[in-house]
Amino acid sequence: MDVSAVLEAHKAQFKPITVDKVIPLEYDLNLLTALDSNPLDESQLRSNTEEYLKQYTRDGCQLLFNHIFTLPVVSDESGVLATLPERVTTIPREKPLPKPKPPTRWERFAAQKGIQKQKKERMVFDERTGEYVPRWGYGGGKKNKTEDWLLEVPQNADPMEDQYAKKNEEKQERMEKNKKRQQRNLDERAAQEKGVNPRDARKQQVYDALATSKKSTASLGKFDKQLSGEPKQKGIKRKFEATEADVAKEKAKHLDILNKVVGKAGEPTVNVRKAIKLTKRK
Amino acid sequence: MRPLTEEETKTFFEKLAKYIGSNIKHLIDRPDETYCFRLHKDRVYYVSESLMRKATSIGRDNLKSLGVCFGKFTKTGKFRLHITCLDYLSQYAKYKMWIKPNGEMPYLYGNHVVKAHLGRITEDTPEHQGVVIYSMSDVPLGFGVTARSTADTRKLEPTAIIAFHQADIGEYLRDEDTLF
Repeated sequence: MDVSAVLEAHKAQFKPITVDKVIPLEYDLNLLTALDSNPLDESQLRSNTEEYLKQYTRDGCQLLFNHIFTLPVVSDESGVLATLPERVTTIPREKPLPKPKPPTRWERFAAQKGIQKQKKERMVFDERTGEYVPRWGYGGGKKNKTEDWLLEVPQNADPMEDQYAKKNEEKQERMEKNKKRQQRNLDERAAQEKGVNPRDARKQQVYDALATSKKSTASLGKFDKQLSGEPKQKGIKRKFEATEADVAKEKAKHLDILNKVVGKAGEPTVNVRKAIKLTKRK
Repeated sequence: MRPLTEEETKTFFEKLAKYIGSNIKHLIDRPDETYCFRLHKDRVYYVSESLMRKATSIGRDNLKSLGVCFGKFTKTGKFRLHITCLDYLSQYAKYKMWIKPNGEMPYLYGNHVVKAHLGRITEDTPEHQGVVIYSMSDVPLGFGVTARSTADTRKLEPTAIIAFHQADIGEYLRDEDTLF
């Protein structure tokens, strides 16, 4: 029985899987992409747009699928899966590279002195227990729990002083100091990133605090004394009385000020100097 | 043109009180008409209420002067009396000084008053006290500040300065451009 005719007929239903292109395509199978750099046929694109584009797309897809089917395959419960190769295309970064952080004060000092950082292991061997304990952090305190059961009182120290409390206090102080330095480094870094001199930024902070504190009195700083060399407060507008206000009220106000300037009773009725002179003469 | 602020009024009154003391209240509280002080271009003017109300219809740039100019505020916020207020100063002055006819001309040219030219002086004038200076015929010539108290002047030699010149009526000619 000759089935070649039937096979031919069956084959004729489908288009061939081979596609001819003048310039071979570039593939990035990781992204399931094929890039075609062949020029489009202008005349066909004009006259028969829909059909031509459909044909063109099919060819491209066919080539892409041809390549995908050459990939190594893994069979799984969920089916047959192709393993994709590494990505070829490099996609540009969305955001700029992070700038290197400005060095802290210690880092600057260390660089100047040539001090190099020495790596210390995280875990330390505790000889007494024969175990490894963290150098610091959680569980790090265990190793010296029993170590300082006795503390020597220094020669010139007050014998009644609690050495444990003193030790604790000193540690707290060190921690506070370090925290302050950390904050200073952060402030300086923030100022530098803004492009401001850290010293000026600090100065501005002081001025801002001064302005806030001046406004924080019950009268919103109306009766505060001006310091010499104090910068002028921004946002405070001068306010004047109306030119054509109640003149009688203005008069009363002026008399009030006059009383403050000259004194409530005005000048004393008795001229003290003259009186003394007269009594001396007698 | 605007009324003086509290602080300005205070500095102004302090300066004025050096010459007329508590008599300032006669300037503020007048029986004839209500008068007020107005500030215009750093100068203090003494104006009647009616005149002030009329002047409000004139623009700030166009208003040159109004009423009587008492003086001006300096850039540092001090107050300086002008000779134009002499009428009121002489009227209410607490301490006065009269100078002899031969001392009038030197004084009117802007010189200090020397002892030789002193005709009369109010008794018990203290040191550094604002005084109004008159000619012997009781014409006010200007005002100044005493260098010595009345008692101290007796011991001085004739060429010693007894009153520092502040303003004199010669300024009407000398400082015509800037006075008002």
